[in-house]
Amino acid sequence: MLFSSTVFLFLFLPIVCLLHLLVRKELKDYVLLLASIFFYAWGEPRYVAVMLLTIIINYVGAILISKYKCKKTLLLLTILGDLSFLFYFKYFNFFVENINELFGDHIDFIKVIMPIGISFYTFQAISYVVDVYREEVEPQKNIYKLALYITLFPQLVAGPIVKYHDVADQIENRTVDFEKVAYGVKRFIVGLAKKVLLANTLGAVADKVFTQPIDQLDCMTTWLGAICYTFQIYYDFSGYSDMAIGLGSIFGFKFLENFTYPYISKSVSEYWRRWHISMGSWFRDYLFLPLQRALSLSKTYGKLSRRLGRRKINILLTAIALLVTWFLIGFWHGAGWSFVVYGLYNGFFIFLETLTGWNRDRKSFVGRAMQHFYTMFVVVLGFVIFRSDTMNYAWHYLLTMFGAERGETMYHLIYYVDRIEIIALIVGAICSAPLCRKMLEVEGRNQLRIAAVNLWLLALFILSAASIAASTYNPFIYFRF
Amino acid sequence: MNRDEIYAKLTEIFKENLDLDEIELTDETTADDVEGWDSLAHIGLIAAIEQEFGFRFAMKEVVNLHNVGEMVDLILQKIG
Repeated sequence: MLFSSTVFLFLFLPIVCLLHLLVRKELKDYVLLLASIFFYAWGEPRYVAVMLLTIIINYVGAILISKYKCKKTLLLLTILGDLSFLFYFKYFNFFVENINELFGDHIDFIKVIMPIGISFYTFQAISYVVDVYREEVEPQKNIYKLALYITLFPQLVAGPIVKYHDVADQIENRTVDFEKVAYGVKRFIVGLAKKVLLANTLGAVADKVFTQPIDQLDCMTTWLGAICYTFQIYYDFSGYSDMAIGLGSIFGFKFLENFTYPYISKSVSEYWRRWHISMGSWFRDYLFLPLQRALSLSKTYGKLSRRLGRRKINILLTAIALLVTWFLIGFWHGAGWSFVVYGLYNGFFIFLETLTGWNRDRKSFVGRAMQHFYTMFVVVLGFVIFRSDTMNYAWHYLLTMFGAERGETMYHLIYYVDRIEIIALIVGAICSAPLCRKMLEVEGRNQLRIAAVNLWLLALFILSAASIAASTYNPFIYFRF
Repeated sequence: MNRDEIYAKLTEIFKENLDLDEIELTDETTADDVEGWDSLAHIGLIAAIEQEFGFRFAMKEVVNLHNVGEMVDLILQKIG
């Protein structure tokens, strides 16, 4: 079920909200749990079992970890269980295809279909067992509460990846009040409008460009496609996150922010602290830092640091940790080489910035403008790799962007964009900077301003709803991952 | 060792590891406030602090140190 579908907006959500408000406090968790499983089963009935099995494995795993001495082995076994599902459902096809390619074999196999959201809920499950292992939280005794954490429908299929230690208290105890519901509804509408009005509109342009054979594109068109895609993916995914955070608030949860205006960043490092924060911080807390730490505690580290000096060896081990982390970040996004390249590409710039200090803010205006320009340049080119189905396509697309190649038969730019799409692009560019940030804050308590904002949100909602009713183009990009 | 002494030692460690001439640390100082305190510098800082004060950080402590104040609290607790 999509958040931006009529079934969800006008049937599922109102019914769940009403039930959630009406039932006694002790029953609210169960209403949400049942609603979440129903939400998932609506599109993916066969794979509910995989999700439930994940819950059971981690429930038992965490309790064993907290009870027995061999904590580490138990942790690794639980994580192995989680990852084996992820591996089978997400990467099996990719591996067999690569083996076939490599050895010229023809291993026949039935394609595995990936359950939606598996990348997200698996990571939440891992967050839970690791937090228990690190003794940051108590293991959850009530399996229904753990199930709620993993299946909660606002964040089930495309995040934010909520970490267990961030919501452990809220799962035990939370309150719903008018203010939270009102904020949630407003936040949801903002997200819906971002998705339906901006992302879908710009997505239509990007799709037109990126589905064109490469020999029918020229320099201008490729830049148009790349820039439209850059804004599409931001509004698609941050819109989805707004909706998730808003829904969470309606049910009394407070999720951490997932995007904080990534396109104003002045370095690639800063960009990744502002873009899909819940994923970046997951990889930092559960992979990068532990890996870097483990390397620094190894015997080889001591030996090498005496020979090479502390700084050099720290650079080396940070490089190794970055390489592994960004390889896996790329791979997490999808079973394809272009995703791996996308990850390594970003990791490369982050390493370079760390090494040279480029990521330190410049004092002068020109210096900062240059930093911003460089960052967006890297980001836009990165999205070309991300959007391309094959590396071959990405390569020729990039060559065309820089005028090194040029198609033969071309449509005029007008073929790709109309007036509305140009307006969407301009609005999108303006709103990606923190100008309208204050809109949702109620601090001023200026009645007139609040009324104006509410009226504006109502208009946005009506526009979005009308647009949903009229169009068929609606998928969220991040559902694929 | 009291807070002030720990602060004096930390300031030296920060200066040396981050290659800075001057730095003023307070309880609220976070990685974002200090030039060059990134993932590379962090591992160096952690190692230097462990060596200076003679204890090991647990993983959850490495991950969850949000500001210098928390770091000082933790050091006090560990050596106390």
